[in-house]
Amino acid sequence: MAKYYDVDDILAEEEFVPSVFQHAANEVGIFDTSDDTNKVEVGSRVELPFWLVRELYLRQLISIRVPPYFDRGSRTREEIGADAAHVDLRSQCAYFYELGCKVAPLIGDKTIGPLLLVAFRTRYKEVLIKAHTLTLAVAPKHLTLLTKEEAKLYEAGQSSIAAFKKWRMGGPRFQAAPVLGRKRKPT
Amino acid sequence: MYGRKASELVKELASSEPGQLSSFNNDLFAQVLEECNGHLHHLQPLMRKIQEHENKLKDTGRSEDEMGNSEDERRKSEAAKTVIQAAMKSDQFGALVHHLSLVRNKRCLMAYVYNRAEVIRSLGWMCDRVLPAEIEERLSSTEEEYFKNHAATLQSYMGGLDLDLTVDMVPPKDPYIKVRVVDDMGGVLLGDQTANVARHAIMFLRRIDAEQYITQGQMEELTG
Repeated sequence: MAKYYDVDDILAEEEFVPSVFQHAANEVGIFDTSDDTNKVEVGSRVELPFWLVRELYLRQLISIRVPPYFDRGSRTREEIGADAAHVDLRSQCAYFYELGCKVAPLIGDKTIGPLLLVAFRTRYKEVLIKAHTLTLAVAPKHLTLLTKEEAKLYEAGQSSIAAFKKWRMGGPRFQAAPVLGRKRKPT
Repeated sequence: MYGRKASELVKELASSEPGQLSSFNNDLFAQVLEECNGHLHHLQPLMRKIQEHENKLKDTGRSEDEMGNSEDERRKSEAAKTVIQAAMKSDQFGALVHHLSLVRNKRCLMAYVYNRAEVIRSLGWMCDRVLPAEIEERLSSTEEEYFKNHAATLQSYMGGLDLDLTVDMVPPKDPYIKVRVVDDMGGVLLGDQTANVARHAIMFLRRIDAEQYITQGQMEELTG
């Protein structure tokens, strides 16, 4: 419950997990609206968001498969094994690590943990180096590969470098409150 | 899909820059609330049905006791029982989905309001009492009231302490500061007199006078 208000935690639970209904559900006409019966039959295959999946899976109402990027022998997995730093994880799942941490204990897949660790370790090193050395102009191309968490680390790295430079060179002590937004161009 | 609108609302929070407020999305907020009502409408009949099934189960159980033990009768009532149980489970499943969606929507709405409130509280420290117009129009009416109350609380606390907590924490080396005026300000109260300040003017002011105008973005500090 500590993360009840956490925006990233909420969005991480919005990621889809492929699941199969083990039991019929009444009055649930969401998954295909063309259906008049308002009922989901046994064996329907649906991609459900994780916040639904967890509770339903614990009650054994659905069975799930891991999302494709966690699948054993999937392409993403092989790519991570080959060179994790240059895999486009954002297009796969912007909350790769968070979702992995949530899915792994649920289905008891022991291989997801090490996968996440390897991916994070290699990618973190890369992120840190780039955050400290790249100028703002070069950054965007590399940024598109990062997951949400890595992008945050990258920004933190950059801001710490900026703060360090400011400390060394000296700068204005006062600044306009950041809520006011970008400074308007003097006209 | 259930809960999609609510997640859009949260996504909006996530995509805005940290510490910045975007305008309150009344429209989407209301849509999510409507979706919640929809869930409730589904949920209530389902609950009623579950109750009915339970009653029926009890009835069959009771009649079984009364009917005696003919093999045929028992098999029939067994079959009826499993049918009812299956129907009940389907209803429970449906109810669960709606319940979870409700909880989810609630969480999204709460997070939206909470995170905005956090930004608004921080505003209270940066601009004292008056909000710039461009920010004020982004707040909902309740948020405006919240800001006003929060700012008033802060002021009364600082009044009680007899200490202005919003000023810079690091003691200045020089009580005077060189600033450039960025905005059209008109007459400004500087120290104990009003001065007419033109845009782009460079001035040498007392630090405490200049501080609030800098945080409001009307002046900027010149160094070096």
